[in-house]
Formats: sequence, structure tokens, C-alpha cells
Amino acid sequence: MSDATVRKASVPPDHLPIWDDPCEAIYHRVTIDLDKCDGCKLCVVVCPANILELFGPKENLKARLKGDANGCMSCNNCYAVCASQGIMATEPYDFAGFYEQKQISEFMFPRKF
Amino acid sequence: MDDIVSNHDLEELECELDAAAAKESRKARRRTAIQDIEPGAEWNDVEHAILTRRSIRKFKGRQVPAHMIRRILEMGRFAPSQGNNQPWSFVVIRDKAMIAEMEQYCVAVCKNMTATIDYTNYPPGSEQRAAIMENTQKLNRDNPNSFHPVPMTAIKSIANGRFAVFHRAPTVILILMDKRGVGVPEVDIGVVGTNIVLAAQSLGLGTCWIGFSKLLSSNPALVEKLGVQAPFEIAEAISVGYPIGNPTQQAISRQTHQIVWWEDGNKEILY
Repeated sequence: MSDATVRKASVPPDHLPIWDDPCEAIYHRVTIDLDKCDGCKLCVVVCPANILELFGPKENLKARLKGDANGCMSCNNCYAVCASQGIMATEPYDFAGFYEQKQISEFMFPRKF
Repeated sequence: MDDIVSNHDLEELECELDAAAAKESRKARRRTAIQDIEPGAEWNDVEHAILTRRSIRKFKGRQVPAHMIRRILEMGRFAPSQGNNQPWSFVVIRDKAMIAEMEQYCVAVCKNMTATIDYTNYPPGSEQRAAIMENTQKLNRDNPNSFHPVPMTAIKSIANGRFAVFHRAPTVILILMDKRGVGVPEVDIGVVGTNIVLAAQSLGLGTCWIGFSKLLSSNPALVEKLGVQAPFEIAEAISVGYPIGNPTQQAISRQTHQIVWWEDGNKEILY
């Protein structure tokens, strides 16, 4: 996220982000643990942004991000359906300029206060 | 003297005892009104439904029984609203042809929108890109929320056919808003929808809010066909169906938001 902050500083605040430019629209923040992934395809099916796909040999399929796809909004639906907890979005999406996220901190699981 | 008790004295004593018992019971009732949980207690049913609710965008083909839809709408009926004005009504669409017609119209609108406002259709540095960018920036000044990059990406996906507006759900609930509602009726629509969504979650149904349902408003013929009459307008839609997979497997992690906390004259920033 600190990386994103540096990039944000260089655009004017009313700037409209270019949503296919990774310097201005920061989406890809999904981590997939390939050891845990069993290729059940549920995450690929439920992903609202349609950015996941399966790869590898038929007997050992794994999930991955599509190369050119962006649009992950860190909804974590993939994590919610994953029986082996092998996939997770850990950072919110963010944009440069006008739509920069503010007063937001890191991801946390529900806390029992 | 002590062992000689008259009837009169006995009655008085009983009265006193009754009064004392009543006082005790009143005290006890007041005490039970406050039931604090211990710090770190387990989630209760409502909290659990909130934490496991996900927006479901992939549904099984099976239709939801009508009584379950009536049941979740009933939960909406008891939502709080400003001035108890209840500025909502519903349209339930379980008709495949009708949903297809709505979908078709929304896709057409999205196609039109991408052609006129999506500058990412053209390579950086090109003339068309600069021209469309300028147009979009103008529109953005008037409607900053509609031109957020996330719905823009969704519009593109809808136009490409990668993404269905109503997610091919077997049931779609349109929430109509009475424009004359007290205060900010939009907020009441949000509250009634939240009741519906959480009730559905607790019954094992999947739901998703469909903000794009507003696009339907630009088609008067379709609006009339759906049965929407002034002063009501389409405010939101909720798709309902059985989710694919088990989205309640585990609660997810999410970003934390700033909390300004005032206590005893001190201001603290929490997350």
C-alpha cells in the first residue's frame, strides 16, 4: 500500500483514473497458495470480476489470475467458498486522484470485542 | 407480646411482605433489562448471518419457493424508516421471460454507454481516447458516483456479455421508493434491503444488490409493464436464489475503517 501512496502523489486530486492502467487502478491483490489449491474451480465460478482461471494438467489443476484481467474488488468471495483456504484478497482496491481510498487500514478478520 | 398476633397485624404483615416482594421483583426486572455480553463472546445468530453474508452472483437454476420470498419480504416490512414513513413497495419477478427482457434492455444500455464513455476502448495517445476522456471527465463532474472505476469495469463486462446484470437469478425483487418519503428515503431503501438480505442469508438463500437496476428507469414502457407507478420509482433490486458452492464456509477478512472515538474529553483514532 505504501507503494500505491507514492504513485498517487503524482496525479492531481480531480484526476479520473484510467482503469486499465495498473499505475492508477490498483486491483491485483489476490494471493493463491498453490499447495492448498485443489482445483475445485469454485473460486473461478464465484469471482464477480471474472479474473480467475484454472491452469495446469487435468489431474493437477490450480487456480490463477488471468494475465490481462483486472477488476478485483477484494470482495473475498473466493476465500469464502474455498474449502482449503488457499486463496485470499488481502488489500483493498485503490485508485489514484479523485477516487483514492481514504481512512482505510489493513484487512482483518471479524474481531470479537 | 411477640407470640400474640392479631388478625389485623397478620394482614398488615402480609401486605408489607407483598409490597417488599413486588419491589424485589421490580428491581429484578430492571436488572434483567440490561444483559451485557462478556468481552470476546461467541457470535450470536444475527452476527453470524451478517458475517457470513456474501454477495452471490452465481446461482443454481432451482427456483426459490414462493413462501420463502414472502417471508424475507415480511422482514423488510419491519425495517425502521424515517418518521415511520415506510417509503417502499416491491415488485417480485419470477418470470423467466420478464427477467430476460430486463436483462436485454440493461445490456443494450451498457453497450451504448461503453461506446460513448469508455476511453479504454482506444489505445493511449490516440485521438478518440482523448476525445472520449474529455467527455467522460465532464460527465464525471456531474455524476461522480456513477463514473467510479468499479461500475465502469462492470459496465464493460456487461456490454461484453461476461457478466449478467441480474446474475441469472431465479427471483428478482425490485425495491421501489416513494419519492415523497420523509427525509432521505434512499436511506430507508438501504435499510429495508439490508433486512431482506440478512433474512435471506439466515434461510440459506443467496442475494445480491443490483444497482444497475436503475437503468430500467430509462425505459418507460418497461417500467409500466413491470407495474411501477409514480410516485414510486425503481431504487434498487435484489437477486435471490440458491448460491453455487458454500459461501458461508468461513467469514472473510476486510479492511478496517477509521473510528474517531471521543471519551472523557479525549479524542482517539481507532481502526
